[in-house]
Amino acid sequence: MGIISVENTDRLYWLGRYSERVYTTIKLFAESFDTMIDMDEMDSLDNFCKRLEIPNIYTSGVDFVGRYCFDPEDPNSIYSNLTRAYDNCIVLREEIGSDTISYIQLAMYEMNRARISESPLIELQHVLDDILAFWGIVDDEIDSENVRNIIKVGKRVERLDLYARLHMSREELKREVDRLSGRIWRTCLKYRQSYLDDLSRLVDEPRIDYITIVQKTEMLLEE
Amino acid sequence: MQEMDLYRHTDTVNELLARYGVKFGIYKNNEFKEQLFPFDAIPRVIEAEEFEYLEKGLKQRVTALNLFIKDVYSEKKIIRDKIVPEEFIYASSGYLAQCEGVMPPKGVYAHIAGIDLVQGKDKEWYILEDNLRVPSGASYPMIARELCRRSSPTTFQKTHIADNRNYAELLRKTMDYVNTGGHTVILTPGRYNSAYFEHSYLAEKTGAHLVTGSELLVENDHLYFIDYSGRKEPVGAVYRRISDEYLDPMNFYEGSLIGIPHLHDIFRKGNVALLNAPGNGVADDKGIYYFVPKMIKYYLGEEPILHNAPTYLPLYKEDMDYVLEHFDDLVLKDVAEAGGYGVQFGNKMTRQEKEDFIALLKREPRRFIAQEVIDFLDIDIFENGECVPRKADLRAFVLMGEEPMVWKSGLTRFSRNPDSFIVNSSQGGGFKDTWVLSR
Repeated sequence: MGIISVENTDRLYWLGRYSERVYTTIKLFAESFDTMIDMDEMDSLDNFCKRLEIPNIYTSGVDFVGRYCFDPEDPNSIYSNLTRAYDNCIVLREEIGSDTISYIQLAMYEMNRARISESPLIELQHVLDDILAFWGIVDDEIDSENVRNIIKVGKRVERLDLYARLHMSREELKREVDRLSGRIWRTCLKYRQSYLDDLSRLVDEPRIDYITIVQKTEMLLEE
Repeated sequence: MQEMDLYRHTDTVNELLARYGVKFGIYKNNEFKEQLFPFDAIPRVIEAEEFEYLEKGLKQRVTALNLFIKDVYSEKKIIRDKIVPEEFIYASSGYLAQCEGVMPPKGVYAHIAGIDLVQGKDKEWYILEDNLRVPSGASYPMIARELCRRSSPTTFQKTHIADNRNYAELLRKTMDYVNTGGHTVILTPGRYNSAYFEHSYLAEKTGAHLVTGSELLVENDHLYFIDYSGRKEPVGAVYRRISDEYLDPMNFYEGSLIGIPHLHDIFRKGNVALLNAPGNGVADDKGIYYFVPKMIKYYLGEEPILHNAPTYLPLYKEDMDYVLEHFDDLVLKDVAEAGGYGVQFGNKMTRQEKEDFIALLKREPRRFIAQEVIDFLDIDIFENGECVPRKADLRAFVLMGEEPMVWKSGLTRFSRNPDSFIVNSSQGGGFKDTWVLSR
């Protein structure tokens, strides 16, 4: 058909964002949990929540695993973010195809399996695998360049946002800004070019202003 | 041997169906839940010759039903000639006065008809119900066939089965035939509708755009799809999967938030095709069902090829007497209900329930029909590694383009409860593929 509604444009963008959020936070969670094994559990927890700017509502490491990973009632949980990715995905079948959405559906099943597993952390690897496969099939199966690029812009915006919140290295931030700049103009999305220019400049400054990077990234797209 | 190969993979096929999101939604205790639709790999098999007979009967029936709807909303000859009593039409909840005088593009009202049949133990097929509003179910055997072909290619190499994956093509042809110029869209109430999987799958397979009411706009007597940039793209055909009353708040239920204001006005002017046409409910009402064989004779001058299950209308004294006398042998159906709801078996009621029901029947005789219980031919399903017989029906799909076309497959639904005749998915039933042998 070649035409796309505002609603679907928005869903594609957020599908990209939430699937990336799940992917990056699972990886980050695994790293952080690993450090908790050797350090003071509550300090590590506090540090993790501060980096992600989420409230530290957890009472112990076990509570953290259960709630941060799998609590559907916790809006910050990985589970909730995957549910949002699924909610956006399931209404895009005619845009992205049944095969593509099946990988997010699989991730959802794997997440539910991990939730009741005796070793939930290791089981989350399957969720990562499904998300990587999802990214692969987005490239392979979706004919419309516009549709592909909107999902990828969502992914790039989310990654830049998370990396800035996590104070990642300059190289990593620069790489994400470059990837975003190379992609966003190829979509139908309306964005603020001046903010994109600012982001390129900000990641080159001697002292990186992470807060401004997060703000400019969040406001990059016009309403 | 080949069949065993197919059955061995039932679990894998079910896993793949889950992965592709083949689900239906139900509301229980005010909560939306998505459920998988269990698939059984043992197909219903219909011989080529038998299907030819069904095909003729189905085309005949749907042709007559289309003529009936046209007549009801225009000349009303069938009422004047006292073939169908007036009160049955005007008291039907499916009759819409707003549709009076409306002639849809190319004169087609029921573009997609889902006709429910059962096969009795005498091998005779009986029509149980006509669905002319928004019948669903074609997508399930379509995708199941796709997956079964992958799981057991030799079965399909060695058995001559008509390919059912052409449903999307037939549907597209049907939509294109009546398109008044512009894009074709499938209008869905949204993902919380019980048949949302089907809406999205058919959009994917037909290449139509899946839309909700908020993405469409009536302006200057035409329908437009609003794209991301605010550009208005003309729409010529809407395969709507929302009920009549919610289609257009200016013409039907004014509280509808999912409809498109003035859609029916431009449909009336012939500027857009709506598949199926609003007002079709007058012809698939359980009470009107009784009169379909008479319609066939009246409009086509032919004897009906396919028969109704023996049906009684308690509104007629003679039929009421019969119903009261044979209450335990009959199934009573509330004409306003669907989806397996409002169906009660006389012999399953307690004494008190029976007394209450009879009192209600006498108060509201128009509300119910009574039917002889057809002793369905059981069909085997695989359960816990063994074949067990279960009741099953068949929903056949007839698409009305330039000519009526019968899809060479259908949705076979079965009851998972050995003591039940209710096969609806909303009541826990499962489904099978329907193979029509090509020779």
